[in-house]
Amino acid sequence: MTDRPSILVPLRVLEGESVPEGVPELLADAHVILLGYHVIPEQTAPGQARMQFEDRAMERLDEYEEMFEEAGATVERRLVFTHNGQKTIDRMIAEHDCLAVLVPNATGPVEDVLVPVRGAVGVDRLARVVASVFGPMDADVTLYHVADEDTTDDDIQTLLGGMTDRLVELGMDPSTIETRIDRDQGPLGAIVDMADSFDTVVMGESDPSLTTFVFGMPADQVAERFLGPVFVVQREPAPDDADE
Amino acid sequence: MTDQPVDVESGGENVAGEAPAEEPEAVTDDAVVHDDDVELERTIGLVGGLAIGIGTMIGAGIFVFPGLAAANAGLAATLSFAIGGLIALLVALPTSELATAMPRSGGGYYFISRGMGTAYGAIVGLGLWLGLMFASAFYLVGLGHYASAVFAELNVALPFSPVTGVGLLFGVALTALSIGGTENTAKIQNAVVGILLVVLTAFLSYGVLDAVGVFGGGTVPEQFFSRGYFPVLTTAALVFTSYLGFAQVATVAGEIKQPGRNLPLAMVGSVLIVTVFYVVTIFVATSAFGAERLGEFGETAMVEVARDFLGLPGAVAILGAGLLATFSSANASILSASRAVYALSRDALLPRKASEVNLRYGTPHVALLAAGGPILVLVATGRVELLAEVASFLHLIMYGLMCVALIVLRRRDPEWYAPSYQVPGYPVVPALGGLASFGLIVFMQPASIGIGIVVMLASYLWYRYYAGDVTLKGDI
Repeated sequence: MTDRPSILVPLRVLEGESVPEGVPELLADAHVILLGYHVIPEQTAPGQARMQFEDRAMERLDEYEEMFEEAGATVERRLVFTHNGQKTIDRMIAEHDCLAVLVPNATGPVEDVLVPVRGAVGVDRLARVVASVFGPMDADVTLYHVADEDTTDDDIQTLLGGMTDRLVELGMDPSTIETRIDRDQGPLGAIVDMADSFDTVVMGESDPSLTTFVFGMPADQVAERFLGPVFVVQREPAPDDADE
Repeated sequence: MTDQPVDVESGGENVAGEAPAEEPEAVTDDAVVHDDDVELERTIGLVGGLAIGIGTMIGAGIFVFPGLAAANAGLAATLSFAIGGLIALLVALPTSELATAMPRSGGGYYFISRGMGTAYGAIVGLGLWLGLMFASAFYLVGLGHYASAVFAELNVALPFSPVTGVGLLFGVALTALSIGGTENTAKIQNAVVGILLVVLTAFLSYGVLDAVGVFGGGTVPEQFFSRGYFPVLTTAALVFTSYLGFAQVATVAGEIKQPGRNLPLAMVGSVLIVTVFYVVTIFVATSAFGAERLGEFGETAMVEVARDFLGLPGAVAILGAGLLATFSSANASILSASRAVYALSRDALLPRKASEVNLRYGTPHVALLAAGGPILVLVATGRVELLAEVASFLHLIMYGLMCVALIVLRRRDPEWYAPSYQVPGYPVVPALGGLASFGLIVFMQPASIGIGIVVMLASYLWYRYYAGDVTLKGDI
């Protein structure tokens, strides 16, 4: 139980977002934090929305909780009324120490998993998510790196080899792990193109920077363009998360 | 304050058979937690809180009152604004303590109903709702004056005075806008307040330098108490409407992040900031023209002051700022009024239907209409001073009772009352705050006092009729 990774599944529960097909099976070996949230306009007090919508939201969450439990997951659930969905999701990630957030899209049985690996930072958390979610279901994992000009093949081999070793250490069968390297492409476009032939994507969150500020996080952009489920692996929480 | 339990039992039911909604289990820095893991996220930070306070207040004190105040009290109107600020501060400090002990939606109404019982709560709660309507109507009439000044500036001669018409038009527009659910209203409000503060700081800095003679203009020396001492106090009562905004921060207390820190800072901070702006504005305005002439300009006197300093561009800038400021104040008041309706309906003092949320937009259309509709009637009267004073009257009753509630709670010291911020100088500060609030009412016009008393009586009778069995008082 303890080494099940906590995966956050946020659903806008009152706006018709439900648990898509295949997702409960996908998370059969995870500890699911089921977050039902409802974003309300600023004119409305959150308590006001709660008085009216709590029962309906609870009913749906009951149903979803059952779906995950039937598939084998352990489930904790929260229902939040909020003016700011992102703040709520971030708080849930911190409070439940979630390794990853799932962008829930429908999928069939998962056979091929694409894992874009950007750099050494965060590789351990990435490996933990991949091994614990996909290890038991014998899916094929492809570690993918889009290299820039300055990176030598040796560097990449070290990176992906290290990642492979870590996955094997965590109990995965080495024969299910492949690596693949591309060069001279924009990483984002390459990942999206590549993802088309896979069932699901597991990728790390980027550090916030000016580009991410303008264009959004690459993980979010992939999630937007790729039709299957995307696991967004969260950064290590900062040791003392300074309040604003 | 990380995980504070809430232990207030409410009970009983109203004539429609509705009971007060149950109280939450706990309040944390980030959320209000009900049972079954249902949470209400806190999303307003310190900047947002300050913007609500300042945004609500600054429209009136700077853009509507200078001319009126100068006409009443002469140069000593400066002192009137300072007195108003001092009273507001004396009330803001106790309010901060109450708000950190009970960071829930409804503000003053919530504190008084839990501290002193349902009857007081009903009078204050219904009074707050109506008081905010009077305040919104006052801002809208102010907006109308600015709009008609724009027409005058453009040399468009209208066969009628557009003041009331524009006020009504914007009243309708604001209500519709709130129901239609504009995204990011809070961000717009923050930006508006930021722009206003920049424009005013620039304008006032120039004005102060000019007044002390740097630009060779110099001041006409004038007798400070040109109208005597008494008008200073009546003017303080009139302009107190400029200080109502800090209590609006408390009405959204349930949505403020880290309430233990941000609520006191936002309330006390916004009072201090606007007081400085008001006092400097009046000083600059009266030194530019002398109180006599300033009074003749009426509601849009600041436009003439700006024209005197900076010519046409100055007048245009202040016209624009005045439109923005009165608009944002009216908007903030309508939203607070809707929050007040929600708090009353949650506690079964108004029908549950009143806080219903619209399925299409997710907005409380009944509550917003209940706020926006009567405002139109009030705007149609066009009586700036009366609207302002009634709004102040109803708020001052609440302020006074909040100070009393604080003293009551401190003396009984119930287990659930654990404020993380404590008012300095207890019991002197809350006692003074209470006395000053009630005292200021005496200096209002008889008509305003009469209307205020009628509203309070009507509120009490409504409570007896509709919700006589509802108990909201905390266990003290």
